[in-house]
Amino acid sequence: MTANAAAERRLELSDDGVRLTLAGAWRLSDLPALGDSLARAQPRAPLTVDGGHLTSLDSAAALELLRALSAAGLDPDSIHWHGFSAPHQRVLDDVLRRRAALAEPVPPARSPWLAGIGERATIIARQGIDHLSFMGETLVAFLELITAPRRLRPRELTAQLEQACLNAIPVVILVTLLIGVVFAYLLGLQAEQYGANIFVVDGVGIGMSREFAPIIVAVIIAGRSGAAFTAQLGSMRLTEEIDAIRTLGLSPMQVLVVPRVLALLIALPLLSFIGLVAGLAGAALVADAMLGIPPAAFAERLHDALDIKHVWAGLIKTPVFALAIAVIGCRLGMHVGRDTRALGLATTSTVVQSIVTVILLDASFAVLFQELGI
Amino acid sequence: MPGDDANAAVIEVDGIVTRFGASTVHDGVSFSVARGTLAALIGGSGTGKSVLLREIIGLHRPTEGSVRVLGTDMWRSPAEQVAAVRRRFGMTFQDGALFSSLSVAQNVAVPLTEHTRIEPEVREHLVRLRLAQAGLPADAGARMPSELSGGMRKRAALARALALEPEILFLDEPTSGLDPATARAFDALVRSLVDNLGITVFLVTHDLDSLLTVVDRVIVLAGGKVLADGPPREIARLDDAWIRSYFAIRTMVGGSPGRSDGS
Repeated sequence: MTANAAAERRLELSDDGVRLTLAGAWRLSDLPALGDSLARAQPRAPLTVDGGHLTSLDSAAALELLRALSAAGLDPDSIHWHGFSAPHQRVLDDVLRRRAALAEPVPPARSPWLAGIGERATIIARQGIDHLSFMGETLVAFLELITAPRRLRPRELTAQLEQACLNAIPVVILVTLLIGVVFAYLLGLQAEQYGANIFVVDGVGIGMSREFAPIIVAVIIAGRSGAAFTAQLGSMRLTEEIDAIRTLGLSPMQVLVVPRVLALLIALPLLSFIGLVAGLAGAALVADAMLGIPPAAFAERLHDALDIKHVWAGLIKTPVFALAIAVIGCRLGMHVGRDTRALGLATTSTVVQSIVTVILLDASFAVLFQELGI
Repeated sequence: MPGDDANAAVIEVDGIVTRFGASTVHDGVSFSVARGTLAALIGGSGTGKSVLLREIIGLHRPTEGSVRVLGTDMWRSPAEQVAAVRRRFGMTFQDGALFSSLSVAQNVAVPLTEHTRIEPEVREHLVRLRLAQAGLPADAGARMPSELSGGMRKRAALARALALEPEILFLDEPTSGLDPATARAFDALVRSLVDNLGITVFLVTHDLDSLLTVVDRVIVLAGGKVLADGPPREIARLDDAWIRSYFAIRTMVGGSPGRSDGS
C-alpha cells in the first residue's frame, strides 16, 4: 500500500487530463507500482509531460511511460516533453529513438505436427546411418593398424583399459553378485515347492552365463564408459583439441577412437566373465543358506548341468556389444554441437542409445542362436 | 540516474595485494573511478588485469586490501549487502558466458525474472529494449547462443548485463576477437551507454583503438602496481619503456597517439 501511495505522488495528472507531472525516482525497481498508477491515469491530447521534478529516470521506466501513453492512444511524437533535465532527456530520447525496433517480432513459424514427426524420423534415420558410417571409419582405422601396427598407441590403450576395465571391476562384481542372489532366491522359491532344489543351479548357471552377465555388464559399461567417451571427446571438441590433433597431421580416429574401441573390446568379455563368476557366487550363497545345497554340491551340479557352449554363447556376444557402445559413445562425442548444452544432450543420448542397441542386439542373438540350435 | 552524487567515486580499490603461492601479482594497487566515466584497465599479459576485475566484482578474494563498489566493501560486508550491490552492476565475460540452454531473449530475461516483480508483458518489452540498446536486431532474441557470431554473442552478453539498468558495467575484453569494424561499433555503443544512460563503464582491454577513441581514462597496471593513470592522450606521452612500446604500434601504422580523445 505504501509503495502505491508513493507511486501516486510520483505521478500527477491535471484535472483536464492534458498535463502529466512526474516526480521523484522513476526506476526499474519502482515499476510494478508505477505501472499500476500509469494504467489508472487517463491522459488526453494535447498532452504535456512535465519531468522537472524527477530525481531519477532510467530507460526501463521511460519505456513503461511511453508504453502506457501509447496504450492510452497518444502518439509519443505529438507529446510535449517539458522540463526534463539534460541526463533524463537523454535517457528519454534514447528510448524514443529505439521505439521502432521494439515492435512485436514475428514469431518463428511453427511446423505442423505431421512435419514434426517426419523431422524426428529423418533425424533418427540419419543418426542410424551416421553410426554405421562411423563404424566403417573405425574399421578402416583398424585395417590401417594391421598395415602399420606402430600407429597403435599403447599408452592411451592402457590408460583406457584401466579406466574401462580395471576400475569397473568392483561395481560389476557388486551388481552381478546381487543379481545372482536375487535370481537364485526367486528360482528357489518355486523349486522348493516341488522339491527340485538342485535344479536352481541349472537355472542360475544357464541364465547367468547366456543372458544376465553379458547384458548387465554391457548396461553398466554403457552408462560408465560410453557416457565418459562422449563427455571426454565432446569437451575436447568444444575446446578445439580435436581440430588441433587434425592440424598436427594426426588422425583423431587413431589417437582417440581406436584406443577406446579396442579397450572396450578387451574389457567387456573380461568383465562379463568376472560378472558371471560373481553371479554364480551370489547364487551359491543363497543355495547354501536357503536351499540346503552346500558349495561343493553346487559346484558339482554346475559342472554337470552347465554345458560350456552356454558360456561361449554369452561371451561371444560381448565384443559386439562393446563395439556398439564404443562406436556410439565416440561418434556422439566427436560430432557434438559446439555448446555446453549439446554436450549434455549427447551424453544422455549415448547412454540411452547404447542400452537400447545392446538389448536389440541381444534379441537378434537370441533368434540367431535359436535357429542355429545353440 | 541519481544526479546529486555525479562525481562521487563508485569504484574504490585500495591497497590490493594478490599472491598466488610464492608469486605476487598485485603489490598494492589503488585507484578509484568516478561516476559516469569510461575507464580502461590495461597492462601486459600476466599483470593480473582479469584477476583484479574478478576481485572488484567479488569473485576472487584479494590477499590484502579492500574493494568498495558503490560504497559497499565487497569482501567485508554481509552477503545480502553484497548481493544487493551485485544487482546494481552488470558484467560481461570474455566469451559472453551466455546460458547455452536459453535463447538470447531468455538470457536477458533471467535477471529481470529473478530480481524484479514486473509483469511478464512489461518484461518482454524491456527485453526488447535491452536487445536494441545492445545493438541487436529484434529477431536475435529467438536465436540460441550457439547460433550467434562472436560479435553478436558479446552484444547479447551486454544486453543481459544491462537488464537491470546497472549503474556500473564491467567489461572483460569486450572487443577481443572482433573484426576492427565490429569492434569500433561496439566501442561507440559502450560510449553511448555512458553518455545517454549515465552508466559508469570499467573495462579491461588490449584494444588500442578503443583506448584512443572512446575511453576517458586509462589505468596502466605494471609490476603489480598502478604505473600510470590519466586520460589516454597524456598516458601515451609518458616516458616509460612499456607504455612507449605499447603505444608505438599506433605511431608505426601512421596515426598519432593523441589523434582523438573520445569526444
